[in-house]
Amino acid sequence: MPSIRIENVGKIYEDADGNNVTALNNINLTINDGEFVSIVGPSGCGKSTLLEIVAGLQPATSGNVYLDEKPITGPGRDIGVVFQSAALFPWRTVRKNMAYGMEIAKVPKEEQKKRIDKYLDLMGLKDFADKYPSQLSGGMRQRAGIARTLIMNPKVTLMDEPFSAVDHLTRSTLQEELIRIHQTEKKTVLFVTHDISEAVLLSDRVILLTPRPGRIQEEYVIKTKQPRSRTDDEIIKISAQIIADISRGAEFKEAEYFI
Amino acid sequence: MASDETAVLEEERKTLPTKKKRKKITGITIAQIVFVIALLVYMEIAVKKKWISPVFLAAPTDIFKEGVKIIKDGTLLPHLLISLEEVLAGYALGAVTGIAVGLLWTLFPKVEEFMSAFCSAIMAVPKVAILPLLILWFGIGFKSKLVLIFLFTVFTVLFNTVGGAKQVSDEYIKVARVFETGRVKTVFKVVLPFALTSIFTGLKLSAATAMTGVVFSEMQSAKAGIGYLLAESQNFLNTKRLFFLVILVTVMSVLFVKFFKLLEYLTCHKWRKV
Ligand SMILES: Nc1ncnc2c1ncn2[C@@H]1O[C@H](COP(=O)(O)OP(=O)(O)OP(=O)(O)O)[C@@H](O)[C@H]1O
Ligand SMILES: [Mg+2]
Repeated sequence: MPSIRIENVGKIYEDADGNNVTALNNINLTINDGEFVSIVGPSGCGKSTLLEIVAGLQPATSGNVYLDEKPITGPGRDIGVVFQSAALFPWRTVRKNMAYGMEIAKVPKEEQKKRIDKYLDLMGLKDFADKYPSQLSGGMRQRAGIARTLIMNPKVTLMDEPFSAVDHLTRSTLQEELIRIHQTEKKTVLFVTHDISEAVLLSDRVILLTPRPGRIQEEYVIKTKQPRSRTDDEIIKISAQIIADISRGAEFKEAEYFI
Repeated sequence: MASDETAVLEEERKTLPTKKKRKKITGITIAQIVFVIALLVYMEIAVKKKWISPVFLAAPTDIFKEGVKIIKDGTLLPHLLISLEEVLAGYALGAVTGIAVGLLWTLFPKVEEFMSAFCSAIMAVPKVAILPLLILWFGIGFKSKLVLIFLFTVFTVLFNTVGGAKQVSDEYIKVARVFETGRVKTVFKVVLPFALTSIFTGLKLSAATAMTGVVFSEMQSAKAGIGYLLAESQNFLNTKRLFFLVILVTVMSVLFVKFFKLLEYLTCHKWRKV
């Protein structure tokens, strides 16, 4: 059963001077149940915009997004979002941050505690449960942010450059954890990144957007089974292919301007 | 993360030199203490030797004795209690109203659109200028002081609350929306904690002005209170009592502000620097 269907989605922003900025143009994409799909593309091509439209955080100017064939009209519990900067509430401890969604959803207290303990364990945050975000490292914060989302058990998880603010080593660890969680829970993931090798390493499918206005330029299916290594033949080949295609996309763009 | 860690480092870099400076300053601190002592000694001698008339200046020992006297003979206490009552009641009312209306505005922007022009207009009026009017309406007793202190407090707290609430970052609002937090819960669970810093700024600012307000209004027209006692001492040319009362009011004002610093520390120090 297709989990998310993005149909003819376009987005036009109005900037401060009242000019129209086309961020996205005619995006069509279907993400299947349990699939891990990444979106890559040059900065400003509309990746975050697309993610926020799927999350229901902002409306599309044209087209529709469907979750299990029902149109998305606003944020909902079926869709979880992990933000780039973790966006933990600084006035809540890790435990309390993880509890936030459950608090709002009125999950019974014992159930909350059970799930929090499970995710503290899963994310290696046991010893930091009662610390505040300002007392954590960036990697820990990101893990807490991911836990806060996954703990709600959403059907689909959207992630916007969740690892871009952490150092290289932490990033590799978090990537491995993410793969492990995806392998065990088989959740649908839509993942935005500007790190090509990260996208190829994690995803079943990588979508490349053109420079703004973002359109789908290319689609890559990665067949290598998880766990993968950065040195696997297919990973290296597809990464190189994507990098080549990105510069081709930039040329297209320039050519268009000249015509 | 990287940015936060560098922030911590910068914090350390900033505090390190000042610590060193503090050690270097000890010489200056000693000089300052010596200066203050010299000034006190001069005041003492000048008044006692009649170089300066005791109408203009008071000897520190006399100020101290006068203070002890009005505390012991029960002159001070009733006035002190009345002033405290006025300032605490007016302040509490103003602070609670300010925060409540601030949250109301945050919840219902239409209400803000309607009210803010009026509030800004009233805020712009120098409060002391409407004291005569307040006295006409509410008499020279407790009520007019209560209203004045209320007016002194409410707008500062209100605009600080609203200002703090408006600065809440987009990210936190997005998180709230993603978890389907309703309007009211968003305000109480996300916006209010975020605005606390700014609310406390408002509370501290208005704590100092509230004290000024109560003393001033009692000096103008009252039957009791520290301000009344000040005016009375002036009429009787009781300079040493004036000095004592000025010191008392200053200490009270400082303590009042300190109380909110402590409160802020207790509520927020765990998750941010206070
Ligand atoms: N609220 C807004 N108002 C006007 N223009 C906007 C707004 N948000 C985004 N844009 C514009 O839309 C385009 C796409 O922005 P978006 O944030 O989706 O890009 P992105 O692909 O996520 O970029 P990055 O990789 O740098 O995060 C950009 O050109 C941006 O300037
Ligand atoms: Mg982005």
